[in-house]
Amino acid sequence: MTELNDTSDVARLLPPVRSFSRPFWDATRERRVMIQYDREAGAYQFYPRPTSIYTGRRHALEWREVSGRGQIFSFTIVRRAREPFRGHEPYFLTLVTLDEGINIMSNVRGCPLEEMAVGLRVRPSWLPLPDGRNLLLFEPDSGSVAAAQSMR
Amino acid sequence: MAIHDTAIVGYAETKIVPVSDIDVWELGAEILEQLLDRTGFEKGEIDGLILSASTTGAGNSFWSQTTADQLALELDFCQTVDIGGSSPLGALARATAAIDAGFCTTVLCLYADTSVAERGTARPRSYSEEWTQPFGYLGAPAAFGLLSQYYEQRFGLDYRALGKLAVTQRNHALRNDLACEKLRKPITIDDYIASRMINDPIRLLDSVMICDGASGLLVTSRKQAERRGLTRCVVPIGYGERTNLNPARAIVDPTVSGHRAAGERAFAQAGLRPTDIASFHPYDDFIIAIMMQLEMLGFCDHGQGCAFIRETDFGIEGDLPLNTSGGQISAGQTGLAGGGTNLVEAVRQLFGEGGERQIANRANALVTGIGGIPYGRNWNTSTVMILTPNA
Repeated sequence: MTELNDTSDVARLLPPVRSFSRPFWDATRERRVMIQYDREAGAYQFYPRPTSIYTGRRHALEWREVSGRGQIFSFTIVRRAREPFRGHEPYFLTLVTLDEGINIMSNVRGCPLEEMAVGLRVRPSWLPLPDGRNLLLFEPDSGSVAAAQSMR
Repeated sequence: MAIHDTAIVGYAETKIVPVSDIDVWELGAEILEQLLDRTGFEKGEIDGLILSASTTGAGNSFWSQTTADQLALELDFCQTVDIGGSSPLGALARATAAIDAGFCTTVLCLYADTSVAERGTARPRSYSEEWTQPFGYLGAPAAFGLLSQYYEQRFGLDYRALGKLAVTQRNHALRNDLACEKLRKPITIDDYIASRMINDPIRLLDSVMICDGASGLLVTSRKQAERRGLTRCVVPIGYGERTNLNPARAIVDPTVSGHRAAGERAFAQAGLRPTDIASFHPYDDFIIAIMMQLEMLGFCDHGQGCAFIRETDFGIEGDLPLNTSGGQISAGQTGLAGGGTNLVEAVRQLFGEGGERQIANRANALVTGIGGIPYGRNWNTSTVMILTPNA
């Protein structure tokens, strides 16, 4: 089994918070995943936008808590990075499709190279930030091994 | 009036270098001088200036005015186009529109960038600080790694077919004196396969090397060109542009790009089909982007790009000559001005001035642009233009 780096030690710059993304970041303090949902469209959206990607109006947009579980949409292995990730390569950069039907870019840690695959089930793996927020990373969802196998 | 009532009467290009010791405005002056010398126009006759995006000018909200001041141009129309790598082709399209609308008569399209020499001068406001940088996503190679892995999973990828495109373009750069010297060394498909991984499965030889340099075009009305005896010129006959494909979908298929819609529009306007295209000059930031554009533009079916590449000779003397000056991948990418390299080469070929790399069939040329990387998708702006010689 080949382990990649998990990037936990990288001194990341703090992500900014915008007026319309604050509920997402606030929820990460309690390690909860909040995603924008448009009641009229009946659909989620990510990343947080200042308006509905479906209607262009804000009135039916709300925040809903989700489990954060999903599966790998695609992945790459970063082998050459700039600061502050330089020296921490190689690591996984992934797009994760949450079960609610949105894609999130993140890192997957605790996953041997041989087990990474499109369709692999993952769950949140929170990384504390210095300001009390947490960064939403992912790890293999070992309770869903059967599901992962069937997706390959 | 219409797009085909305008004419490209001159083209110009500097040497592409790893890092420029010449200022970006002096590169602009070199382009201006080449164009004046070639066309016989006087500086005072240029009444329009359209700049491509550039990382050099990115922090300056007055970029086209500042550049006009440096070059002492008095203008009735000026702007900077900000659709990333699509900007040079987009600038040409906007020049035809401005001339068509009667805002101005003669436009300098200037594509100059010294992003390497002035690295790190701009910090664009984008989604990236919040949603991608915290995960060590450091730009286009990662985006194309994710895209390629998805394509591989869905359709399979023949890396030797992709390597064939890399080798073909490299062979073309060997015949291009203006290409970055560091890249003018022959490669084989095995070299491509063996080149080191950057963002699996994106390899070093899939990728552009960021360089400095400039190119440009002089565009005027066809009537004006004929009045001045510039009958040898190049006429745009079709253009399509699509930014932000399917924004109202939370998840999109990254193997589909806006080139499908942009291509359909350009082909319809030109009255041509993919089988009519004499040479192909696609924007190439990564090798797989060439293949995806072949699919989206209808040269082959979606998912059949590798098979089409295996069957097609893309050489100078081949079925569908590809980026005959080497493309950005083998000539060097002049920052956000890089879209000018393949565009200028298409114009050069249609003028019949390709020299030792001149292609036989000059009936037309298809040029494309790719610009910007949106969150979790392929690219933001797709452009397509079809050019013909003034017959």
